[in-house]
Amino acid sequence: MTQEIEIAGLSKVFGQGASAFRALTDINLSIDTGEFFTLLGPSGCGKTTLLRMIAGFEHPTGGTLKIAGEEMAGKGPNARPVNTVFQSYALFPHMTVAQNIGFGLKMLGKSRSEVDTTVAEMLRLVRMEPMADRKPSEISGGQQQRVALARALAPRPRVLLLDEPLSALDLKLRKEMQSELKRLQTETGITFVFVTHDQEEALTMSDRIAVMSAGRILQLGTPHDIYHAPAERFVADFIGDTNFLDLPVTAISGDVATLTLPGGQSAEARLPAGYLPVIGETVTAVVRPEQAVLGEPGSGMLSGTVASSVFFGTDTHLHLTLSDGQDFILRRQNTADLPVPQPGTPVGITLGAGTLRVLRS
Amino acid sequence: MAAQTPDPAPEGEPQERHGWKWALNAPALAVLILAASGPLIIVAVYSFLSPGNMGGVAWDFSLDGWFKVFWTRDIFDPENVSWNWGNLTVFWRTVWLSIQTTVICAVLGFPTAWFIATRPPHRRALWLFLITIPFWTNLLIRTFAIQELIRGTGLLNTVMMGLGIVNEPVQMLYSDFAILLGMAYVFLPLMVLPLYAAMDKLDFRLVEAGYDLYASRFRVLWHVILPLVKPGFVAGSILVFIPSIGAYVTPRVLGGGRTMMLGNLIGLQFGQGRNWPLGAALSMLLLIIVMIALIAYLRTVNRDDGGRRG
Amino acid sequence: MAKSFSVRRLPGFGAIALATFVMLYLPIVVLVVFSFNAGSSQSQWEGFSLQWYAAAFANQQVQEVSIRSLWLAAVAAGVATALAVPAALGTTRVSRFPGQTMIYALINQPLMVPEIVTGIALLIVVAWLKVHTGYTGMGYLVLAHTAFCIPFAYLPIRARLETLDATLESAASDLYASPFQAFRFITLPLLVPGIAAGFMLSFVISLDTVVITEFVKSAGQDTLPTYMLGQLRRIITPEMNAIATLFLALSLIFVTAFFLITRKRG
Repeated sequence: MTQEIEIAGLSKVFGQGASAFRALTDINLSIDTGEFFTLLGPSGCGKTTLLRMIAGFEHPTGGTLKIAGEEMAGKGPNARPVNTVFQSYALFPHMTVAQNIGFGLKMLGKSRSEVDTTVAEMLRLVRMEPMADRKPSEISGGQQQRVALARALAPRPRVLLLDEPLSALDLKLRKEMQSELKRLQTETGITFVFVTHDQEEALTMSDRIAVMSAGRILQLGTPHDIYHAPAERFVADFIGDTNFLDLPVTAISGDVATLTLPGGQSAEARLPAGYLPVIGETVTAVVRPEQAVLGEPGSGMLSGTVASSVFFGTDTHLHLTLSDGQDFILRRQNTADLPVPQPGTPVGITLGAGTLRVLRS
Repeated sequence: MAAQTPDPAPEGEPQERHGWKWALNAPALAVLILAASGPLIIVAVYSFLSPGNMGGVAWDFSLDGWFKVFWTRDIFDPENVSWNWGNLTVFWRTVWLSIQTTVICAVLGFPTAWFIATRPPHRRALWLFLITIPFWTNLLIRTFAIQELIRGTGLLNTVMMGLGIVNEPVQMLYSDFAILLGMAYVFLPLMVLPLYAAMDKLDFRLVEAGYDLYASRFRVLWHVILPLVKPGFVAGSILVFIPSIGAYVTPRVLGGGRTMMLGNLIGLQFGQGRNWPLGAALSMLLLIIVMIALIAYLRTVNRDDGGRRG
Repeated sequence: MAKSFSVRRLPGFGAIALATFVMLYLPIVVLVVFSFNAGSSQSQWEGFSLQWYAAAFANQQVQEVSIRSLWLAAVAAGVATALAVPAALGTTRVSRFPGQTMIYALINQPLMVPEIVTGIALLIVVAWLKVHTGYTGMGYLVLAHTAFCIPFAYLPIRARLETLDATLESAASDLYASPFQAFRFITLPLLVPGIAAGFMLSFVISLDTVVITEFVKSAGQDTLPTYMLGQLRRIITPEMNAIATLFLALSLIFVTAFFLITRKRG
C-alpha cells in the first residue's frame, strides 16, 4: 500500500514571544492511499490546523509534509492535489450548483466539454441532477453539503479534506450523509481525511483514527483498537464511557499484568505497547460499562452495592460503589422487563474476558 | 520554556509583509494628500504669515492673523488694542445657533425616531426612506426651498396675511431665526438616523419590565428609554453640531450676508485684497472646535463602552 | 372597552413625528408645485404650466452648467470608486498593519473637516498652482471632487467586503484559482453591489457639492449648484424652481437606486 500523505516532525506556533501559542507539536503521520482517515479531538486540539496545513492554508513552523511523495513546502492551496469540503460549505453564492462544481476544473484550464462532462457525472454521483441550475441559496442544507462534496471531488484530487462537514446538519440528515460519504469514498477510491469532534462519527466511518489533544497525536489506530485498547486516560475518557480503577500490580508476564481487584481477587490486564510498570506499583486500568455483567452478591470478580440507577430504555446504567469505595458504572442491556435494583442492593460483578486494560500513566 | 529557541522559518513561509496593503491604498492616499490633507497643512502654515497686498500672503512670519481673530488695533494708535467685537459676535452666533440647532433637532428627532421604531417592521423601511430622501437631496435646494417659503412674498406670509394673523409681511429672511430654521431643517435627518439605530436595538422587554415595576410613562421614558438610547443621542448631536458649526451655504442664503456665521467670515477673508492669514487662522479655529467636539464624542463613547464591559 | 396598554406608545410622540414629516416635505413640495405655476409668483397659484421648464431648457447657461455638473460628477465618482476599491481591499480583512489607523483617518478626513475649510485650503493650493503652472482647466475641480468623494465610495465597498465570507476565497484557492483568479471570479462579482452603491453615493455627493466648487472653480467653471447659489441673490422666477425640481428628481433616482442595491443584500 502506498502512502498518500507523509508528515514528519510537523509543528505550528501562532504568534511570537510571550503570546506564542503552540497549535501542533511534533506530528508524525502517514496516511495510506484510499484510506478513510479521521482526526478526532475536542475543539482547540489542533485537528483543524493540521487539516488546513495539508490543504495549504497554514504554513508549518517546522517539519515536513509530503503529498504523493512530493514535498509541499512553498506550495499554495492552488498548487496541491487536495480539495477541501469546508465546514460552512463555502459555496459561491453568485454561481449555480453546476458552476460551483465546475469551478476547480475551469481553474485547471480544462476544456469546456470536459468540464461539462465531469459536472454531469458529479451531479449524478451526489444525486443532484435536478438542482444543477439553482443557486446555493435556493437549496437545502443537506443539498448544499452534497454540492460542496461534488465540487471538491470534481477535480479528482488525490486527497479529499473534510472539515467537520456534517456538524451543521440535524441528526437524521447526519446519519444519511455518513453512509453517503462512505459510499462516495468507496466508489471514488480517493483518500479522505476527515476532521470531527464526534467520536461516534469517527468510529463508524473511519479506517483509522488519530486521537488528538493539545496539539499532539495521542493514539493512532483502527476504531476497534481505539475503543477497546485506549492507551491513555484522555483517549479512554474521550471515546465512550469508561470505568477507571486504580489497582496494584502483582505480576507481569510479557505484555500482560496481573492486578489485584478490590475484594482481593486477581485479574489479568493487557499493557499498552512500550509501557512496563514495576511490581507493587498502582496503575490505572479501564473497563467499559457494557463489558461488566451483573450477578448475585458474592458471585463474579468484584462486589459492590447499587448507589443509583438511570433507565435509558434499551439499557439501564447502574452506578455502583465497589467494596473499597471506588465508583463503577455498569450498563445492563434490558433484554427483558428486568426489575431496576433499588439503591443499597448488594451485587456481584463479572468482567468480560480480556476487557480490562492498563493505561499508560 | 525558558530558553525557547525560535523555530527556524521554513522555506516558503511568507514573512508578514505590509507593502502590498500600502500599495493598494497608495492611489487613494495620493489623491487625499494632494487635495485634502496637504492643503490643510498649508492653511496652518498660512495662518502664521503676513497678508500680501492683493490677497495671498507674504512669506514673513507673523502672529498677526491669529491676533486679529480676537483683537484689533486702532488705526491711528497701534498701541491701543481692543476686542474684535465683530469677530466675537460671529463666534458667539455660530456656537449659539449650532447649540440651538442641535437642541431643536433632538426635540423633534426623538419622537420622530420613536415613531419609526415602533411601526410594524415591514413599514419601518418606508418611513426610514422618507427620512433619508431629504438627507441625500441637495442641501442648497432644501435651503432654497426654505428661502422661498419664508420670504416676504412667500407662501408662509401670504397664508398668514390671508388668515389675518398679520397685516403686512413679516421679515423672516436674513435673520438668525431664518438661519436656525434652515439649519434645523437641513440637519434634522442626521439626528433621526442614529437615534433610530439606537431604538431599533432597544430591547422592549426592558420597557415592559419598567411598566411591570409600577413606573409611569414619564418615568419609563426618563429612567429606562433615555439611558438606553443615549448613544444615539450623543451620535446624533455630534452629527448635527459639526456641520452646523461649519455651515456656509445655509447662513449665506438665509442670513443674506447681514448675519454671518464663522464659515462665511472665513470665506470673506479669501476675496480679493482680503486678509488670507486671518482667514487661515479662523479656519484653524473652526477646525479646533470640530476636533474638540469629536474628541468629546469619542471619550463619551469609550466611557460608555468601558462602563458596559466593567 | 378601554384601549389596550401598549408599551410602545408615548403620548404626543406620534403627533410630533407626523408634524416633523410634514415640515420636512412641505418646503420641497411647495418648491415643486410652484415650478408648474403659470404665473411668476411663489405664493399665488395661477394655473398649470410647463413654461418655466421650457425656459430652463432653453437657457444656454443652465444647459452648460448642468452638463458640466454631470460630467464632473461622473468623472469624480468614477475615479473615486476606482481608487476606493483597492483601498477597501487593502484595509479590510487583512491582519492589522502599522499605519492602518492613519490610513483610516486620511480616507475619512473629508467627512470630518468642514467643507468651508477644505474649500479655502484648496483655494490656496490651486491659486499657487495656477500661478506656477499656468494651467486653469477643470483638472482642479476633478481632483477636489475626487478627493471629497473617496470616503463616500469607500464606505459602502468596505461594508460589503466585511459581510463577505473570507472562506469563499480560501475555497477558490483550494480549487486551483490563483490569487488574481480568486479576485476576478469570486471577490469582484460579489463586490459589485458595494461598488455600484459607492459610485452612486459619490455621484450624488459630487453633484451636491457647492462650497468646495465655489472656492476652487475658475471663471466660467460654474456647476449647477454654484450657478444656483449665484442666482439666489437675484429676483427669483419659478425657472429656478423648475431647475431645482429637475435636479431633485435626478438625486432621487440615484438615492432610490442606492437604496435598492444596498437593501437587496440584507
